[in-house]
Amino acid sequence: MTRRSPTLLGLAFLLLPTPSGASPMPEGAGPEAPIAPAAPIRFQEIGERAGVRHVHSTRRFTGRHKAQVLEMFTAGGAAVAVGDFDGDGWDDLFLTDSDLGKPSHLLRNVTGDEGTRDGIAFVDVTAAAGVGGGNDESSIVADALWFDHDNDGDPDLLVARFGTPLLYRNLGPGPDGAPRFEEVAAASGLTAFANTIAAIAFDYDADGWLDLLFGNYFQPKNLLRLDTTKVLPEDLDDAHNGGGLALWRNVPAEGGGRRFVETTAEAGLAGHTGWSLDLGHGDLDGDGDQDVYVAGDYGTDLLFWNDGDGTFTDGTEAAIGFDTKKGMNVDLADYDRDGRLDVFVTNITDEYMRECNMLWHNEGDGTFLDLSRETGTCDSDWGWAGKFADLDNDGWEDLFTVNGLRSAGEENYIPLLVETIIRPDVDFSDLDSYPDIGGRTWSGYQRQRLFRNQGDGTFAEVGAAAGVDNDLDGRGIAVADFDRDGRLDLVQTNADQPSLLFRNVSPAGGRWVQLDLAGAGPPEGSNRDAIGARVTLSAGGETWLREVDGGNGYAGQSSLRLHFGLGDVARVDAVEIRWPSGRIERIAAPEGGSAVALDAITRIAEGHGVVAP
Amino acid sequence: MTRRLHPDPAVAAAFLLSLICSPAFGLAAASPAPPEPPADVRAARAALAAGEHARALKAYERAVRAAPGELRWSAEYRQAAIAAEAYDRSIALFEELVDDHPGSAAVRLNLGYAFVDKIPSAGAVTQVILADRALGHFSKAIELEPSWLALYTRGNSYVFWPAIFGRTRKGIADLERAVELEPKESPAPFHAHAWIALGDAHWRLGDLDAARAIWRRGLDRFPDNPALEERLGREGEALDRLLDEHYAIGKRVDTSLEELWER
Repeated sequence: MTRRSPTLLGLAFLLLPTPSGASPMPEGAGPEAPIAPAAPIRFQEIGERAGVRHVHSTRRFTGRHKAQVLEMFTAGGAAVAVGDFDGDGWDDLFLTDSDLGKPSHLLRNVTGDEGTRDGIAFVDVTAAAGVGGGNDESSIVADALWFDHDNDGDPDLLVARFGTPLLYRNLGPGPDGAPRFEEVAAASGLTAFANTIAAIAFDYDADGWLDLLFGNYFQPKNLLRLDTTKVLPEDLDDAHNGGGLALWRNVPAEGGGRRFVETTAEAGLAGHTGWSLDLGHGDLDGDGDQDVYVAGDYGTDLLFWNDGDGTFTDGTEAAIGFDTKKGMNVDLADYDRDGRLDVFVTNITDEYMRECNMLWHNEGDGTFLDLSRETGTCDSDWGWAGKFADLDNDGWEDLFTVNGLRSAGEENYIPLLVETIIRPDVDFSDLDSYPDIGGRTWSGYQRQRLFRNQGDGTFAEVGAAAGVDNDLDGRGIAVADFDRDGRLDLVQTNADQPSLLFRNVSPAGGRWVQLDLAGAGPPEGSNRDAIGARVTLSAGGETWLREVDGGNGYAGQSSLRLHFGLGDVARVDAVEIRWPSGRIERIAAPEGGSAVALDAITRIAEGHGVVAP
Repeated sequence: MTRRLHPDPAVAAAFLLSLICSPAFGLAAASPAPPEPPADVRAARAALAAGEHARALKAYERAVRAAPGELRWSAEYRQAAIAAEAYDRSIALFEELVDDHPGSAAVRLNLGYAFVDKIPSAGAVTQVILADRALGHFSKAIELEPSWLALYTRGNSYVFWPAIFGRTRKGIADLERAVELEPKESPAPFHAHAWIALGDAHWRLGDLDAARAIWRRGLDRFPDNPALEERLGREGEALDRLLDEHYAIGKRVDTSLEELWER
């Protein structure tokens, strides 16, 4: 790989003009007829116009402890979660903030509303919904997640914090049509303090109810009320004094409703005491249950095989080996279409530290091979989120990554930091060991990367041509088709900087199919969100694999709606769904027809097949 | 963050040892020519051939203790330690020898090499720490005896540090001193390594004109040197790729010094 040195591109916020060569789609226009699969990928940044220009603020610390050092180690929290909270078929957004008193934002997608046909549009309904809180004197909002915890058919909202989580139960619209939520975390048993940085929802025990897995960064000490300065990783390559994991099982509550009970230890996950930074789930061994990948900062990632009986087995050593990297992101996809889910992890690759990302190719025998160098996805600087998505509908999933830690003054923090690192007998865990960063830059002004899947096992970096190579301090990514035009759009969140909405304006790509899956609910059916469902789509003698995930990817949750780019296929021969309940449902094409409609969104209900084309 | 003394085995494996044999290097403790292997070294080699690493290490350690300034047995020992992933054991031995022989530049160099040997096994941050520890011992070796070898070793080590750490100019200073110590008449082939590294240091700083000038001067003195020819034959990204790979983090540097013994 060619070396990429950090380049100071200037402090100005890049306000995303339409990339040169892009030809924005006429508003309201649908996708055109499928053309060349090699059509370019183009995005237009429309966050301001679409009402998604939220400026995130990291928490500012005060007090006797080194405030700036804590701020460096907690420079996350700019998260995005996609969910159709009002069930209108248009994906909505939740964007977090992290500083004291700053509200998070619930943004309703009104693109489909009468009279709002001006591209993609959102309106802020935070106040009416009452879900903006969470940044108080003892808590810092760090992540968010939509999931239907009570299987009532609408998504509830989890706000993960350095603190106790918040769980907003979706009550549906009030008489005035305004969204209504009720905060039920304490009543649901979610009362444990943790410094949670990542949360995913999936049904680990296949009982039809979505459970929660939290990735905790620091140990459960309140960073806002520290009684010690020794809270940082004790080793920067192999730390074991982090927050580990917390698994919460969804169980019936007395008197009705649902509550969560912690099952970390009995499920076999309590042995991990590292600095969890992201989590991903998926059926990595094809045995029908959901396995877990943990991206660990300051130490090894972990892979836990689901044993199918409510427990997990640590399979790290045999599957991926132990690493010393700074794992930041987990996303799963079958990027090479061999019928197995692969795993993408971002690490730190910069002038001073060249860890390289990891693209774990699933070998199908319980082991994974890191092909990041071979595929051209090794280098994304100081990586944060990375998400797979077929952005040009050519049938191959591309990879968008966001990067950069802290873009500030011209002076660089690294020379100062290294003097700390090499100091004999330095205590890495001690806040007082580190110099304040002041106005210095640390791995800042790094370009976001878009790796286009070339369909031959390699990727080509096309971020600049696609118009997404801004140099903000990226954190989270959400992928969704906000305007339902068959082209996947992107949301990028940034630490202490504005969020971006990239509308996909690629001139034309291949055919596509989108599937909304609805589980039948327990006791016999799957969770209503169908999280964990695996869909195999066959067309033109080829197959595509997708799974519905509950929040994979750092600081981002993407649409639950499955998107298949299909290239130039003429019809879909079959769709097979393996529901989390174990039910296999196959939808075959009628004579001369297509199993599901091309270039359209299809709704499939467990046990009922296609219920709405 | 790491740096290895010889990232390119074809180029780097040998440089150190050869230097010690030459009066220009001046390491008093080093033998001008390797002696016949003592019984412990022969026993260690036999144990290695039999796959008995533990026995080999013990035998080598006896040999190294008996002749701490003899770089050849120390180098063999370190290679055996690498094979057994006994990095800390190797470091511990040379730390002990440094305590026992505080005036030996060769022992200091060996301790530095032992830290270098461990770098590929470590995480990115630990690699920085190990590399810095190695530099510290190379500096002590220079204090004890500012030989060509010690100056080249430390200067070359500095070149592995990315420019952001601000150590490249220190490397240039060491390497310029090393070049000055090179015999004016009939330099040995290994002396070319200082010219190579000196040019590389200027490349590291982004001064390609200076780098090329150094490499050309080196090639004048060492005609047909493949590493110098290769650098001068590449431009732009091709040159960056070559040197990025040469100074890549994570690759093991060959510290076996075999080139020296072959000479």
